[in-house]
Amino acid sequence: MTTVQIGLPLPVLSKDWSAPTESNNTLTAATDRNIEPVGPHFLAHARRKRHKRTFSEDDRI
Amino acid sequence: MSEEESPAERVAIGISFGNSYSSIAYTSGEGKAEVIANEEGDRQIPSILSYVTGEEFQGTQAKAQLVRNAKNTVAYFRDFLGQDFKSIDPTPCHNSAHPLQHESTVAFKIKDKEDDTESTVTVSEITTRHLRKLKNSASDYLGKNVNAAVITVPTNFSDAQKEALSKAAKDAGIEVLQFINEPVAAVLAYDARPEAKLADKNIVVADLGGIRSDVAVIASRGGMYSILATAHDYDVGGAQLDQVLMDYFAKEFLKKWKNGGDPRSDDRASAKLKLESEAVKKALSIGSSANFSVESLSKGFDFTCSINRMRYETISAKVFAAFTRLVLNAVEKAQLDPLDISEIILAGGTAHTPRIASSLASAFPGSTTVLAPSTSPTAINPSELAARGAAIQASLIQEFETEDIEQSTHPMVTVTPHLARAIGVLCISSDESTGVFRHLVEAETPVPVRRTAIIATPREGGDVLVKICEGIRVIKVTKPEPKAKANGKAENDSDDDEDSDESDEEELREKTYKVENVLAEAALKGLSKGAKVELQINVAADLSCTFFAREVGGKVAVRGAWKAPGKA
Repeated sequence: MTTVQIGLPLPVLSKDWSAPTESNNTLTAATDRNIEPVGPHFLAHARRKRHKRTFSEDDRI
Repeated sequence: MSEEESPAERVAIGISFGNSYSSIAYTSGEGKAEVIANEEGDRQIPSILSYVTGEEFQGTQAKAQLVRNAKNTVAYFRDFLGQDFKSIDPTPCHNSAHPLQHESTVAFKIKDKEDDTESTVTVSEITTRHLRKLKNSASDYLGKNVNAAVITVPTNFSDAQKEALSKAAKDAGIEVLQFINEPVAAVLAYDARPEAKLADKNIVVADLGGIRSDVAVIASRGGMYSILATAHDYDVGGAQLDQVLMDYFAKEFLKKWKNGGDPRSDDRASAKLKLESEAVKKALSIGSSANFSVESLSKGFDFTCSINRMRYETISAKVFAAFTRLVLNAVEKAQLDPLDISEIILAGGTAHTPRIASSLASAFPGSTTVLAPSTSPTAINPSELAARGAAIQASLIQEFETEDIEQSTHPMVTVTPHLARAIGVLCISSDESTGVFRHLVEAETPVPVRRTAIIATPREGGDVLVKICEGIRVIKVTKPEPKAKANGKAENDSDDDEDSDESDEEELREKTYKVENVLAEAALKGLSKGAKVELQINVAADLSCTFFAREVGGKVAVRGAWKAPGKA
C-alpha cells in the first residue's frame, strides 16, 4: 500500500498540553463482512490468517 | 482424466459462462490475460447448442440455426442449472427449445441423434457439452490439454447452482479450482494491469448482459474487495434493446409492405428480425448509422432500412434510463452517495453502448470515472472483463493444492471485521470543529490493516499535536450565492456538447468528514523547519491499535496504543 500524502499541516501544540493518562476511547465496533477470495492481496491475507502471522512477520519471510 | 490433477500438471484457464455468451481466457507468460478466439474467430461465443441430423453445432453456427431449426436449438440455459423447474423463468427460451420438467431438474426435448429420434437432455448435460467445447477450443489454441478452470458466476448464484456447475464441469473434464463472482472478476481485470495503482476506493460494477443486468457496489481496500450491496434486474438487458429495434423495424416494414404481415407474429420472421436487430444494435455502438437488411423477411418481401444512432437513442431512452436507475439504486442500497463512488466499471456486452456510459457519467459527479470504451481511453473491452479476471485468478492459484484453495475460501478466512468509521488525523487546528479531518484508513476497511501517511507541519516547525480520531463521512450541501456564477464560469468551459443544463439553483454537494470520536493524542516536540511527520497506524484483528509517529529523517518519535472495544 502506498503512503498517503497529507498536505495540510498538523496543529501546533498548545502550551498547556499534557500527555493524556490512559485513554479509554476505543474504535467503534466493526461490522463483519465477507472479503472476496480473489486477487493477490487476498491470498496474502489468507496466508497470514492461516499461519497467524502479523504484517511485519509476513514482510520478513 | 477427470480425476483431480496434481498441481504441477494443471493447465488452467478462466471461463466466463453466461446465458447469452461465454468466453475463455488464459494468462500469457508475462502474466497478461488474453481472451482466446475459438475456431470461428469469436471471442464472445454464443452459449447456444444446435443439432442437425445428429451433428452438433455450437456458438455462432448454432445461433444461425435459431431461424431454421429452432426446436433443436438450446439457448439461455445457464441460469436453469441446479434449479428446480418451478423456480425458472422460461421466457428467453420462447424462440428455441423449451425447458421442461424432468425428475428434479430441467431438461430439453431435442433430436440430437443421427436417426432423428427425440431425446431428453438435462440442462447439466447441455452445460457439460458446452463446457467441453470451450475446453477443446482452449486446448487447441494453447496446444496443451486444459484440465482446470476458474469460472465466474453471478453474485446470487446459489450453492446448489454452483454444485451443479461444478459437476457439469467435472463431466467435461474440467476441475473447477474456484468460483468467483462476476463483478469481482471485472475489478481484478482492471487491478491486475501493470499500470494500475492500489488505492482505497468504492467501485460500482454494472454488468449489463443480454437477459439480465447485475450491479454490485464493491469496497476496494488495499487490493481486497468486499461487496457492500448488489442489485439484480431480469427486465433490463440487451434483449430489451433488441426488442425496441425489432418493434421499430417491424413497424417500418408494415408501412412499406401493407400486406406483408407483421414479422413479429411469425416465428421464423421474428427470429430473422431478432438476429438482424442485434447486429444493428452492435453496429450502432461503433458507427453512427447502421443498415438493417433481411431477405424475404415476411411473406417473401425483402426489407432494407437504415437507422442512425440518434434515432436509436431516442426510441430506447426508456431502457437507458432503467440502467441508470438500477445503478443509483444499488449505490443507495449500500448506504452510499454517488459522491462516494470513485469508479464505475461497465461490464457485459450491453456496456458497449455509448449512450449508457454517458448517461451514467452525467448521473454521477465529475469525480467519478466511468470505465467504458466511449468514456475512457484506458477501458478494457467490457465483454472480456469477467473472462480476464477469471484467467488472472486461475494463474494465481494454479499451483495451489486443492485443499489450500478450499481453506483459503473458507468463511473462517473470508469473514473479517470491517471498520465502521474512517480513522484519520486532525489537521490545522486542534479543535474538532475547526480542524480538518484527513483519513488514513477508510470506513469498510477489513482488519488487520496497516496504513502510513506523510503529513506536513507548520512552516516554522516546533511542537505539534498528533490527534487521531474517528470520522464519519457527511455530504455537505451548500447553495451557491446567486451572483457567483459570472466569474466562476471561465474555469469550466469545457466543450459542452452534452445537454448540461446547470440551473442557477443547483446546490453544491461536497463530501467531507466529521470527527466523531477522539482516539488518541500525542505530541512531537522540537521539529525542524519544514519537517514532515510520518504516521503509521496499525489496527489488529481484534480492533486494538498501535500508532507510531516520527519526524521524517529526524530523531523525534512517539508511539502509543489503544485497546480493543469492550476490553477497557
